[in-house]
Parts: sequence; C-alpha cells; structure tokens
Amino acid sequence: MKDDGLHAVDRPSDEHTDLPVRGGDRSELRPPLGTPGGRRSYAPGRRIRLLYALLLIVAAAAGGAWFAGTYIRSPAEMAARVAPPPPSPILVAVEKKVLSADVVTRGTARYGLPQPISLAPSPLKAGAGVVTTLPLRNTQLHEGDVVLTASGRPVFILQGKTPAYRDLVPELAGEDVRQLKQALPRLGLPSGDADAPFDQKTSEAVSTWYRSRGWEPFGPTREQLAAVRALERDWTDAEKAKAAAAASVDTARVAIDAARAAAAHAIKSAATDNAARDAALRRLPAGSRQGTGAGNASALMVENERAKARLANSAADAELSAQIAAEAQVALDPRQTETARQAANARLEMARAAQEKTRLEGEMAVQAAERDAALVARRTEVSRAAELSARLEGNRAVRAALDAQGLAQLDLKIATQRADQLAADLAAAKGKLGVQVPVDEVVFVPSLPVRVEEITSAIGHPASGTLLTVTDNQLSVDAALPLEAAPLVKAGMPVTIDEQALAIKATGVVETVATTPGTHGVDGFHMYLGVRVESTPVPLAGFSVRLTIPIRSTSGPVIAVPVSALSLATDGSSRVQVMQNGALEYLDVRPGLSAKGFVQVTPVTGQLLPGQQVVVGYNNPGGRETQ
Amino acid sequence: MSFRHPVKDGKACAFQVRGAASIMILLAPISAGAQTTPSFGAEEFGMTRRELVQAIEHGEELIAKCMQEQGFEYIPADYNRVHAGMKADKAMPGLSEEEFISKYGFGVATMYTGQPPQLTSGYSPARVGLGERNVEIFKSLPTADQAAYNRALLGENPDATFAVALETENLSISGGCTRKAIEQVFKPEQIKTSYYNPQNAFINNDPRMKTALRKFAAEMKRNGFDYNHPDDVEPDIRTRLAALTSSGTIPVEKMTPEQRAALRKLQDYERRVAAKSFELQEKLLTPVEEQIQQELFARKVQ
Repeated sequence: MKDDGLHAVDRPSDEHTDLPVRGGDRSELRPPLGTPGGRRSYAPGRRIRLLYALLLIVAAAAGGAWFAGTYIRSPAEMAARVAPPPPSPILVAVEKKVLSADVVTRGTARYGLPQPISLAPSPLKAGAGVVTTLPLRNTQLHEGDVVLTASGRPVFILQGKTPAYRDLVPELAGEDVRQLKQALPRLGLPSGDADAPFDQKTSEAVSTWYRSRGWEPFGPTREQLAAVRALERDWTDAEKAKAAAAASVDTARVAIDAARAAAAHAIKSAATDNAARDAALRRLPAGSRQGTGAGNASALMVENERAKARLANSAADAELSAQIAAEAQVALDPRQTETARQAANARLEMARAAQEKTRLEGEMAVQAAERDAALVARRTEVSRAAELSARLEGNRAVRAALDAQGLAQLDLKIATQRADQLAADLAAAKGKLGVQVPVDEVVFVPSLPVRVEEITSAIGHPASGTLLTVTDNQLSVDAALPLEAAPLVKAGMPVTIDEQALAIKATGVVETVATTPGTHGVDGFHMYLGVRVESTPVPLAGFSVRLTIPIRSTSGPVIAVPVSALSLATDGSSRVQVMQNGALEYLDVRPGLSAKGFVQVTPVTGQLLPGQQVVVGYNNPGGRETQ
Repeated sequence: MSFRHPVKDGKACAFQVRGAASIMILLAPISAGAQTTPSFGAEEFGMTRRELVQAIEHGEELIAKCMQEQGFEYIPADYNRVHAGMKADKAMPGLSEEEFISKYGFGVATMYTGQPPQLTSGYSPARVGLGERNVEIFKSLPTADQAAYNRALLGENPDATFAVALETENLSISGGCTRKAIEQVFKPEQIKTSYYNPQNAFINNDPRMKTALRKFAAEMKRNGFDYNHPDDVEPDIRTRLAALTSSGTIPVEKMTPEQRAALRKLQDYERRVAAKSFELQEKLLTPVEEQIQQELFARKVQ
C-alpha cells in the first residue's frame, strides 16, 4: 500500500503514532532499518494489518453465521423444509358447449358412377377410325352432345341402359333401337312409336339430328350398295334355277311313265315265255303229265322208266330161273350128255347175262329219266326267274323314275326357297339403304348429364376400346372404417368433410356402411364407408379428405367440464370441486356424454354456471402436478 | 450409424461440463445447496438412453394421436423400431461405412426414387423407422390418401420421418404430425435449424478443431468443393436434389431426359464429395476430436 498525504491528514496527533506527519521533521520520516521507510513506518502498517485482521474476523464471523444459518437447522426447521409445500389447485373454467363423440376417418372424394366410354367397331366402316378430337376433363356432356370425333365422324352420347353393340339401321328393332327412338323426342325430334322398328320416320329424325349438330347423316355405304347389287344378281340366278328345277320335275314325270311301260312290257314277255314252256310240258305223254306241274311230270317219267326196268328185270329173273331149272334137270339127268349139260350151263349163263343186261339197261333208263326231269325242273325255274327278273327290273325302273321325280321336286323346292330368301334379303337390303347410325357413332349411358372424369386415349390413337371415363355429377367419398368403429356409423348420419391442408370444408351424409369387411377395395380389417357429399364450396374429386362423423352428440350446448374435474365421492356419487367465493366446495353432479376430454355434467345440488372454476388437479410447486 | 462430422457427432457434452463447472465454481458461495453435477447423455441431443427412449415413445404416441385426429391410422413405433430406422441411415448389409460412402455417397441423390418412403423397396431409413405395420397401412390407401397421409405425417418433406430427424439431429426438417409431436417433446431451441448439439458446438469452438476445419476447407477447395464444414455437405446435396425434383415430388420414371441427366450428374457429384469429405474427416478432424474428447472425458464418447 502506498503512503500518501491523505494518511497524514487523518493521522491523529498522538506522539506514539507511527504515521508520518506532513510538514513535520523530515528527519523523523526516514524509513526504518531494513525497510524502505525506516522504523517509524511500522506503526501505521501494524494498525492497518490490525484493521484487516479485524475485518477478517468480522467477515469470518459473518461467514460462520451465514454458514450456520444455512446449514445448521433445527429438526423442526428441517422437517418444515422437507415437508411438501401446500398444493395449489389447478382451476379450469366450466364451459357451455355442444359435446360430440366423433368417428374420424379418411376417404378419397370422387364423382359417382364411373363408367367407361368405349367404341365398338362398326361393320359399316372399313375399320376402327382414328381419334380426331377429344373432350377436356370435367367437360359436362348432355344428351345429343358430341363426345369426341373419330376419323371426322361424330360420336354422340344418348341416355340408355343398354350399351350400343350394333349398327342402328332401318328395319332393325330391339332395346337399342328403342333407346334411340326414345332419345330423339327428348332432342325435339319425333321418331314415331318407340317400340316400332327403325323406320323411315326414325331415319328422318336421325338425319335432322345429325344436321342440327353440323354433321352429315350416315347414308348407305358403297359396300351396302354393292351388296344389294350382288343380291339382285343372286336372286336372278335363283329364279332361273327355280325354273330349271320345275322343268326337271316335268321331265321326271314323263320318265316315270316310260319306265312303267317298259316294265310292263318286260313282264309280259317273260310271262309269255313261261306260258310257252308250260305248254310244251303239257304236250308230254299222258302218264307223264299226271300231276299239276312240270315237277310232277318229270317224276312220273322217272317212275315210268323205273317200272319198265323192274318189268324187264322180272322177265330176266324168270328167264334165269327157267334156265337154272333146265340146267338142274340136265345136270340131274344122267342121261344127258355132257354137251347137253354144257349147253344148259351156257344157257344158264346167258340167262344170267341177260338178267344183268336188263338190270343195267333199266337203271340207265331210270337215270336218263331222272336227268330229263331235273333239266325240265331247271328250265322251269329259269323261266320263272326270268319273269320275276323282268318284273323286278320294271319296278326298279319305275322307282328310279319316281326318285328322279322326287329329286327334281326337291331341287325345285330348294330353288324356290333360295329365290324367295334372296328376294327377302334383297328387299331387306334395299330397305336398309336409308340413313343409319353406326355403332361407333353413338354411346349410351344410363343417366345424363355426365362429366368427363378421365381421358385414356389421345388424338391420333385408334378409336376403339375404352377412350374415356365419365361420371355423374354426384360427389361421393370412398372411405374405410375400423371394424370396431363401423357398427357405430349408420346410413344417414351427417358427416363433416374437411382437409386442413387444403382449407376444404364440406358436409355430407353417410350413404353406405358395408356389413362385411374387405368390400369395395378396402382391406380385410376395415369396412367400406360411402359418404355422399351434399354441399361443398370446391370440387372435391380426387382429394383425400377427413370425415368426421358425430356418432353421439348433445342436443345443444350443455354444461361441460374436463373429465379430470370429475371425481367419485365415497358413496359412489360423482362430484366436482368448485371455487366458490375463494373457497373450494364439492358439488354433486350427474355425468352425461363424454367426448374430447370433456364430460357433460348436471348439478344434482346447487348450481354450476359457465365460467365458474373447477379443480382439475393440484399443482405441486416442487415440480409434479397431481390430479 | 451416422455419417456426419464426428465433431458434431460426438456424444459427450464437454462444453456443458466445462461451462457448467465454471458456473458452479462462481456460484458456489451463492448456491451452496445446488451442488448437482450436470449429466450429459451419449445419445442424440445429448440425451441419455433412457431419455431418448422416453422421447421416442412419447413422440410416437403423440404422432399417432395427431394422425388419428387427421383420420389416419398410425401405429406408434417402439424405440427399437425407430432406433433401427436411425441405424439404417447410410447403412447397408455387407457394406462398411466407407464402402457405402464410396458407392452411394450420402444415399441422398444416389438413392432417390421420387416415391414415398413407404413404397420404396430398397434403401430407405425413413421406411425402416416407420415400421412395417405403418408401411402396410400406407400401402393399403388409395393414391390420394397416400399423399394426404404423408402430408399429415411428414409435412412437405416426405423423407423426414421421426427417426431420420433424430438421427440427423435436425428436427427442423420435420413437418406435419411428426413436427407437432416433436414440438411437444423437445425444447424449442432444439428444433431450430441452427441448433447444434452443445457438445459438438463446444468441440467446434476449440482452437485446434478450428484449425483442423480450416485445413478441411482448404483441402476441399483444392479438390473443387466449396465447403467449410463437413456438416454442410449433405444438406447442400439435399438442397440441390430438392431443387431438381421439386422437393422430391417427381418420380424418376417421370423425369424428363434433362432432369435425368442432371440427377446423374448430381449423383456423381455426391459420391465424389462424400468420399472426399469422409477421407478428410478421418484424416484431419477425427484425431483432433478424439484428443479433445480425451481431455474432457475419461473415454471417447461413442
């Protein structure tokens, strides 16, 4: 510490003081030995140190007191310090509001009844055309509008449940024709009886309709005209064939007569031959003609020969017996000479030979007779067969002529039918040569108007198949509900539709709640939910929107408190703790609907008004909150 | 796994330790009773494992509640699932970190598909962190609902799932219900873009690290890359990719030839810059970081 004049001014005048005196004896101001200031300078330094020591003691005492005050506490103080602070209630104002328990889900908005617009190739045209114009997305299409054009031809849209599947041409009838004839009057074009076929009146209406839209009606094509000409040619040929067939029938009739005459002649000739043969038989001997026919006659001739043979044999046998007897006489007569005996033997032998000869001749005669009889029998059979053959041949010729006549008649019939068919086809073809509506120039949709939802084709692409998709103008939302939430949602429930990110807000109505999971493309853990959009400030189609469905709601604003404000009394009754005039009081209440953290309460005793404070918990200054 | 600069990625909060110790000394006479030693966890945002688990599970519950309010179904992912998503960042089976980086860079432009993470089939930390059940829920939705689902869940950045935001320690990229949940779980300063893990901030402010970072910047510049800090590289790639793909809304198959060429160029750039950045980090920054951590902690913080 530096010594300066200020110290001298404040220095006391005591002679024992160690402080130097300003303006005093300078010799006394020399510093003490061993120190820069001499001996007399020790006195002020000691006093300063003393002062510092005192200050240090005071500071130590203060520190000790502070330490003791901080760390040394009585048990009571310690208990008070560790005791929990008195909790302060957390108060929340009673509200009057509508309570609503909601089911919240998501869905994608779309227009209803999406249906593809497809074109079938028309047989009236060489092939599918090329798309030349297409509508814009969201274009509204009304009845009679041109949806698109293909190869410079229009494609009209009409109302009808049956899709166009064939060309609508004159004289055609059916549901599609009925749809066309019903649509034309709606366009201001009377087309006659809707149930009648496509007629002249329809053609006129179609012509007017096309022309009113700036298009030329579709008349007969070159192919149709060529087909008519071909039909005419065919019909002419058929008529000629019919005349030729008729001539053939007449010719066949003459041929039958000729065949019958030829057959009669042949039969007659054969009969004549038979008669001549019979007559020849009748000229045989009387004995051989006994019987009724040639067979009997032949048998008689054979018997005759056999009888002759037997007779000759008998004579030969008798001769032999006579010779035997004669030989025996000679042999027994000793008087007979040897020569006689030999002569007798020779006669006997001759008799035997004669007998043999007779027998053989008889047999030969019988055999000859039998051969003759057989020959006669065969000739008779041949003759009869010839007659039969002539008869059969005649019949065959007649039948062949009859068959030829039948064929000719059949040819005539076929030719007649063909001619008639061709005449009918020709008439039909000529009838269809009027104005017509090719199948690729009209599409039917069940209801109109519709809007173009999606265009799947492009200009220059083939005009066939699905070209675009249209929908009706009713917005719907396809959504899904968890299985546990689905039973809570019923058809007809109001729905709040919103999307915070897009600032969309709309309303709708539950239209469908599926009864089985996994339908309408949702997975097996969800139920399909269909919502009809009733009012919306912006078109929602394609947006993902939030659907809030109040499944239970109070009929109007009710007294509501946070659920945590409600507690149970020992008797089981519900109560809330209310701040009344600075004090907390319990108030018995009857709880109602609970939603979104609030519960409806109705005071059983006393009164509970909006704005009043109720306790929802207690705040512990130490940190934790308790309820 | 994370491929950020290890300085930022260090898990010990040395700065807090030192700063808090100094403050404690200064304030010791005044607050003799408040002698609690501050503890810093080794996990993201300086959290302990317990704190991280609680933050994740609370955050997931809040996300599910928020999604339910939006009309969507969301199953809260548990810690393991979210942590798997965090670990899936810049990781691929069979590849080391270095191999991944040399092959795919940061996996930003190189892995870009333009599809929502739930619909990707390959590398996607975002998809892993969401969990299979949520992915299946997403896949079952119509296209419009899928877009709304991700808008509700993730906001405008479809890759910024809870797991990705945690892993990158950049909560500011989050949106939608994820952001709402994060706002309720984390402190406001932690959600700011400028937020730095205090430990990393401390290490970055060390003079030795500043010197190393200057060398890093110089080396990068010498190689044709203008980055002062390794943490600047990946965000730059993400920014470039977002500009090229209209914030990731253009699928690759719908890109014009010019856009595809630009994407290929960006992918090449990403691979080169990532490899160089990784190499320089290993060479220049990691030793310094380890030295600082050794001085601050008994062991290197993992």
